Amino acid sequence: MRILLVEDTQDVGEAICRRFQAVGHTVDWQVNGRAAAEILAFTDYDLVILDVMLPELDGFEILKGLRRARVTTPVLMLTARSEVDDRVGALDLGADDYLVKPFDFRELEARARVLLRRRSGDATNLVTCGDIVLDRTSRSVKVGKREVQLKRREMTLLEIFASRPGRVFSKQELLDQLYGFDEAVSANAIELYVGRLRKKLEGAKARIVTLHGIGYQLVSDDA
Amino acid sequence: MTLERSLFGRLAVVMSVLLTAGAAVLITASWYSARTAADDAYDRVLVGAALQIADGLAVQEGALIVDLRASAFEMLGLADRDRIFYRIVDPTGKTLTGHRDLETNIDLATVHREPVLSSGLYKGEAVRIAVVGRALSDPAASGWAHVILAQTVEARRGLTHELTLGAAITIVIMCFLALVVMILSIRQALRPVNQLGGALRRRDPQDLTPLSVSVPRELRPFVGSINHFMGRLNERVVLLQRFIADAAHQIRTPLTALTAQLDLLNSGELDETDRQHLSRVQQRADELARLTNQLLSHAMVIHRAESVQLEPVDLNEIARRAFRVAVPITVDPDIVVSFEEADAELTVLGDPVSLREAIVNVIDNALRHGTLSRLEVRVRDAGPFAHVEVEDDGPGIPSEEWPRVTQRFQTSKAGEGSAGLGFAIASEVAAAHGGALQFRAKGADAHGFTVILALPRIHREGK
Repeated sequence: MRILLVEDTQDVGEAICRRFQAVGHTVDWQVNGRAAAEILAFTDYDLVILDVMLPELDGFEILKGLRRARVTTPVLMLTARSEVDDRVGALDLGADDYLVKPFDFRELEARARVLLRRRSGDATNLVTCGDIVLDRTSRSVKVGKREVQLKRREMTLLEIFASRPGRVFSKQELLDQLYGFDEAVSANAIELYVGRLRKKLEGAKARIVTLHGIGYQLVSDDA
Repeated sequence: MTLERSLFGRLAVVMSVLLTAGAAVLITASWYSARTAADDAYDRVLVGAALQIADGLAVQEGALIVDLRASAFEMLGLADRDRIFYRIVDPTGKTLTGHRDLETNIDLATVHREPVLSSGLYKGEAVRIAVVGRALSDPAASGWAHVILAQTVEARRGLTHELTLGAAITIVIMCFLALVVMILSIRQALRPVNQLGGALRRRDPQDLTPLSVSVPRELRPFVGSINHFMGRLNERVVLLQRFIADAAHQIRTPLTALTAQLDLLNSGELDETDRQHLSRVQQRADELARLTNQLLSHAMVIHRAESVQLEPVDLNEIARRAFRVAVPITVDPDIVVSFEEADAELTVLGDPVSLREAIVNVIDNALRHGTLSRLEVRVRDAGPFAHVEVEDDGPGIPSEEWPRVTQRFQTSKAGEGSAGLGFAIASEVAAAHGGALQFRAKGADAHGFTVILALPRIHREGK
C-alpha cells in the first residue's frame, strides 16, 4: 500500500516511516505543506497521514483541498490538543480518524490498518445471525443494541462463521482462512480466538458450538 | 464571633467608659446640689431658731438676761437626731450662758443684724454654726450681744444622701437603657459587615467574579477593594492556566520525538535486561504523555467552560465518538469492550468538545485502573437526566474515597498509579453543564463499578 506522510518533525517522521516500511508499505514523506498538496494533486495514495502544524500550508488546508477535489483517500490526522477545536475541525472537514500527539506508535499502526482495510474492503452488506449484526463496511459488530469491539482476526473469524450459519468449520479450514497458507500457526490459535469471540458475544441469540474432533459452527437461537 | 478586637467590642467598651464617666459626673453634680439644697433648708431653721433666742435677750435691772424659749428648740427638734449647742455672749464679750467652749471662726464684732453662717467642728463633730447679733440700747449694757447656735449635721447629710440616691438611681437606669439601645444599634449597624462576610464565606473558591452584595455607602470602598483584588487574582489565575497549557504544549513536541526514537529502538537486538529497561522507559514515556495531555485537556475544559456558548447536542453521538477515541485498537484482546447508545435521541445543552473530553477521560481511567476483562459504555435515559455510564468489572473505588478522587492528582488506594486529572476533568465538565459525576458501587443492581456522567436533558424545540 502507498502512504503519504506529511510531518515536519524529523524524529517523528522517521519513526513513522520505519514502522510502515517494516510491514511492507511504501511511504512518501513530505515535510512541507505546500509540496504535499501539490503531490496529492496528481498522485493517488491509499492513506494520507497528516500533521496539523506544517510549514507554508497547514493540515486543515490540505484536507480541505483534498475533499474539495472529491478525493476519498482516507486521512488520518495527527493533532496538537492546544488548538482546542482541532479535532472537531478535522472530523468535520472529512478526516477519517485522528490521533493526539504524543501518541502510541502501535496505535497509529493499528488505526492506519483499519483505514487501509476499509478502503480495500469490497463487501458492503450486513451479515446477520440471531441478533448479531456484522457491518462489513464499518467493520463493527452489534449484539442486540450493544456495539462490541472486536479485533481484526476475531472479526474475520465471525465473518467466516456468520456468512454460513450452521455450517461446521474444521480447525484447519479456519486456520487457512484466517492466516493464509504460508503462515505456520498452531491450531491452538483457533481455540484462543474462538474462546475470545464467545466471551465477546455473550448474551447474544447465537452461539459458537464446539463439535469435538470435527470443528465449530455458529448456531442461531431463532432457527 | 469573638468580641475581643471586634468592632462591636471596641464600640461597646468605648461607649461603656463614656457612659460610666458621664454617670459619675452627673451623680457628683446631683450630690453637690442636694447638699446645697439640704444646707439651705436646715440653715433657715437654724437661723430662725437663733433669731428667736436673740429675741429673748433683754436687759433687766441693768443686767442682761436671756429667756430661752422652748419653741426655738422645738423648731430645731425637727432634726431629731441632731444635737444643739449654744452660747450667748454679752456686749463685753463675756459668755452669758451656754457651752463656753463653743468657738467659731467668725469675728463676732462684724456680726450685726444679719445672721452669719459657717461650718466648723465642735468636740470633734461637724457642726453648722449660725451667729446673730442683738443690739442693746440699755445704758447699763449697750452694744451688740450675740447668739451662737450650732447644730450637728446628721439630718442634712441624711437628706443629701436621700436626694442623691434618688437622682443616682434615675441616672443608672438611664445609662443602662442607653447601653442596651446602643448595643442593639451597633449590632444593627454592623449587620451588613456580617452579611458581606457571609457572602464571601459561602462563595465558591473558583468563583472570582465581582461581589454583588448590596452594602451601605460606608462599606462600598471595602467591597470595591475586594472586587479589585479578585479581578487581579482572576487575571493571575487565567495567566497561570495559560502558562500550564503553553508549557504542556511545549513539552509535547519533544515528547512525541522521544517516543518516536524509542519506537525506533529495535528490541529484538537487545538482551533480556535491556528489553526490560526499554519497556519501562516506554511505560514512563506513556505516563508522561498521558499526563501532558490531561494537563492540556484540563486547561482546555476550564477555558471552554468560561468562553464557549452551550448548544443543544446529541449525547449518543458525542459518547460514540468519545468511545472510539478512548478505546485504543491495540487494547488487550481478552477484554470485552462494548458500547450501547440510548434508543431515543438524548439532547443536552453542552459543549461537544468538553463533553467528549470528559467521557474520554472516564473511559481511559476505567481502562487503565479498573477493567479486568469487561468494559461497558452506555448512554441511558434517566428521566430528567441523560447518563453516560462507564462500567467495568474491576474492584472499583471504595465509596469513602469517592469525594476525593474527583480532586486533582488524587489517587484511589485501590487503583494503581495516579488517577491524574481524569476524574477532575470529568467532574469540572459535569459541573459546568449543571450535572454531576457520580459513582455506583460494585454489586449494586448486579452491576460492576460504574462511573456516571449525569447531565440535565433538554427537549429540543420543533422536534
